[in-house]
Amino acid sequence: MRSLLRPALWFTLIGLVLYGALFAASEALVLRHGRSNPFFKIARTPEPAVDWIVLGASHAMPLDFGDFNAGLQRASGQRIVQLAGPGTGPLYNRLALEQFLHEHRARHLLYVVDAFAFQSRTWNEDRIGDVKLLRRTPCDAELTGRLARYVRDEGVDVRALLDYATGFSKINNRERFERDVWEGEAQFDRVAPRSSSAIAKRIAYLYPSPPEPEALAVNMARFASLLALARQHGMRTHVIQMPLPPAFRKQLPDATAFDAALARVIEAEGASHADFSATIDDPRLYFDTDHLNRAGLGTFVERSLMPILMQGAR
Amino acid sequence: MLFNSLAFFVFLALTLLLFAAAPAGARWIVLLLASAVFYGAQQPIHLAYLGGVTLAVLACVRMLARTERLAARRALLAVGLAAVLGSLFAFKFHDFLAGEIERLWAGDAGWTLPRLGLAAPAGYSFYAFSAASLLIDAYVRRVPVGVPAGQIALYLAYFPKILAGPIERATHFLPQMAQNLRLQPESVVLGLQLMLWGLFKKVVIADNLAPIVDKSFGIVAFAAPIELLTSVYFFAFQIYCDFSGYTDIAIGVSLLFGVSLMENFRRPYLSRSTAEFWGERWHISLGRWFRDYLYVPLGGSRHGAVRLYLNLMLVFLVSGLWHAGLGYGVGWTFLVWGALNGAYQWAGVATRPLWQRLGERLPGVAASLPWTLLRVLLTFHLIALTWVFFRARSLGDAWLVLTRIGVQWAELPGLIVHYPFSADHALGAVLILVLLAVEIVDEKRSIFSRLAAAPAALRWAVWYGVLAALLLLGRWQAREFIYMQF
Repeated sequence: MRSLLRPALWFTLIGLVLYGALFAASEALVLRHGRSNPFFKIARTPEPAVDWIVLGASHAMPLDFGDFNAGLQRASGQRIVQLAGPGTGPLYNRLALEQFLHEHRARHLLYVVDAFAFQSRTWNEDRIGDVKLLRRTPCDAELTGRLARYVRDEGVDVRALLDYATGFSKINNRERFERDVWEGEAQFDRVAPRSSSAIAKRIAYLYPSPPEPEALAVNMARFASLLALARQHGMRTHVIQMPLPPAFRKQLPDATAFDAALARVIEAEGASHADFSATIDDPRLYFDTDHLNRAGLGTFVERSLMPILMQGAR
Repeated sequence: MLFNSLAFFVFLALTLLLFAAAPAGARWIVLLLASAVFYGAQQPIHLAYLGGVTLAVLACVRMLARTERLAARRALLAVGLAAVLGSLFAFKFHDFLAGEIERLWAGDAGWTLPRLGLAAPAGYSFYAFSAASLLIDAYVRRVPVGVPAGQIALYLAYFPKILAGPIERATHFLPQMAQNLRLQPESVVLGLQLMLWGLFKKVVIADNLAPIVDKSFGIVAFAAPIELLTSVYFFAFQIYCDFSGYTDIAIGVSLLFGVSLMENFRRPYLSRSTAEFWGERWHISLGRWFRDYLYVPLGGSRHGAVRLYLNLMLVFLVSGLWHAGLGYGVGWTFLVWGALNGAYQWAGVATRPLWQRLGERLPGVAASLPWTLLRVLLTFHLIALTWVFFRARSLGDAWLVLTRIGVQWAELPGLIVHYPFSADHALGAVLILVLLAVEIVDEKRSIFSRLAAAPAALRWAVWYGVLAALLLLGRWQAREFIYMQF
C-alpha cells in the first residue's frame, strides 16, 4: 500500500487546488447573481448603521419585491434593510440578526411573524441546513463560526456546517447562472384565483404533520432571545402580523394558542405588537393563497405600515 | 444508508480503518460487524428480521452438511426455503395479494383478509436470493465444509451487496474469506475508480434523467406524446445507470477490502438480441440465478420444444413477480413486463434457425456494422418498450403511454424539431451520449485497463473530469436507488 501513498497524496493535493478554483468561481457567481438571500444582503449593506431591518418569513418578503423597498425608503426617508427569508423561523432569523449586528447597527427591528415558522424544526434547524438557502449564502468566516455554535447548541445538522464551510451547495448549484429571486416575486402583480384546495394544500405544506408540540415552546424561546438580542443592541422592536385572506385565516391550526404565546413573549421583552392579519379581506389583493400582491401591499403600507415606520423616524 | 450519502462515506472510511488495523485472520469479523451496522442503521428492527432468518438458514446449512439421509436432506432444504421464501412472501407480497383478492372476489360481500402490515426490509429480495442459493448449494454439497458460521452470515449480509446485489454465490464468496483479506494497491485503485464511475452513473446521469421521467409518468394523460417518448428513452438509461451505478459502487467498495464480487452488467444496450441482453449483459447475477436454480431444474431445453417455451416463459413470469408488489406503485405491470420479455425469448428461439441461415448465406451482411447497428437498435427499442410497463403506475397508464406515442408516431419527427426542449433535456441527452461513447470504447477493451496503460496526466485528467462532473452536475439529495426497493 505504501507505493500508493505518494501518487495518492499528489492526486489529493492537485484535487484540492482544483476544488479551491471551483469554490472561488462559485463564490463569484453567488455574489454576481445574489439578490434575496438575507446573508447576501448583509454582505452588500455598506452603511454601518441603518434605520430599520426587517426579519421574518415569506410574508415579509413582498416588502422587498422589485423596487418596493426603494419606494418605501423614499416615502419614509429611512434606510431599510430587508432580511426576511422564505420559510425561515425564529432560529434562522436570529442567525441573520447576529450576523447583521456583527458589523452593522440598526435603530429598529420590524419582525413579521408567520405562525407556521414557529411550529416545526423544518423552518428552523432544518432550514439553516437547506441547500436552497446555503447555496446563496456568501462565504464568511464569522458566519462559519456562528454556524458551528448553532450545530453545537441548537441542534442544527453538522452537515449544514460542512456544506457551508466547503461551499459544496454553491459548487453543486444547478441554478448557478440564475438570479437569486424567490419564486413569489414573479407573481407579485397577479391576482390569485380562489381555490379552497390550494389553501388546504398550502396549510398542509406549512404546518407539520404530525404536529410538533414541543417545537412551539422551543421556537418561542428562540424568538424571545432574538428580541432580547435586539434590545441589548439598543434596537426598538415592532412585531407585526401581516394581513391574510379570511379563507386562509380560518384554516390556521391552533391560532388562538399561538397568539397567546406570542403575546406573552412580546410583553416580556418589551416590544410593540400589531396584528394586521384581519385588515385586508379582499382576496383580489393577494397573489397566491396568503401573500399580498403589489396592490395589496400598497394598501397595507399606506394604512398600517407607514405609521409604524414614521413613528420610528421621530 | 445510501451509497451516495455522506453518512456512507464516513462509515466506509471508519470500516476501512478498522479493517486495516485488525489482524488478517479477523478482518472478516470487521466486515460482518460493519454489515450489521450498515443494515441496522436505518431500521434496527430490520436487522432483527435479518438475524432471525439468517439463524434459520445457518441451522439448515449446518444440518445439511451433517445429514446423509436423502429424505432428511430434502426436509431440511424445504424448511430452509420455506423460512426464506415465506418471509419474502410475508414482507413483499402478502398484503398486496390480500388486497388484490379482495378487489377481485370480495365484491359487495364486504369480507376482508387480514393484513400483516410489515414493511419490507430494504433489499430483502436480494438477501432472499442469496439465502436460497446458499441452501440449494448446501443441499447439493457445493458449499465448502467447515466454514465458520460467521463467514456464512457475512456472505448473506455483506454490506456492499446486501441492498441491491450482485446476487453473489457462496461458492465464489466463501473461498475468498478462507484466504487472508488484505488491502491490495491494485484492488484499491480499481475499486476507487469503479466507485467514481458508479457514482457518476447514479448521481449525474440517472438522477438528472429522473425528474424528466417522473414528470411525464406522474400524470400520463397530461404529458405530450413527445414528452412521453423522450421519457421512455430517458427511463431506459435512468434505470440502467441507477442500477449498474449501484453495482459498480458495490463492486468497487468490496474491492477496497480485497473481496471480488461478480460482474452484473456488461454494456447491455449494445446487445444484438434480447437473449443476449438477458443472458449475458443485464443483471447477470439474477439471470444466472434463474438459469441455475429455476430454468435448469425445470428441464431447460432438454425436454422438447414445448417444455423449452414453457420454461422460458415461467422464468420471466417469476422474474416479473419478483419485481411486482413494490417499486413504481403496486400492480400487475411487472407481470406484463415479465411476460413481454418471455415472449421476446419465444420469438428469439423460434426465429433462431432463420438468423443462422441468413448468417450462413450472407456472412458479409451478418457481420457488417450497419447490420449489427440495426440489431442493436432493434433490441434497445424492444427492451425500452418493456420498460414502459416497468415504470408505469398501472397497466392503464402503460397502455396510455404506448397509444399516445403510437397515435402521433408519424408526426413525431416534426414535433421533435419544434418542441421546446429544456436545458435539462439537453443535459440528459448529452450525458446519454457520453455514456454510450464510453461503453462503445469499453466494449473492445476495458476502459479501466486502457486508462491504466495511459500516461498519468491523461488518467488523472479523466478522473478529475469525473469528479468535477459529480460536483457540478450531480444531484446529491440522496435519491434512493431504484432496485433497493425490490
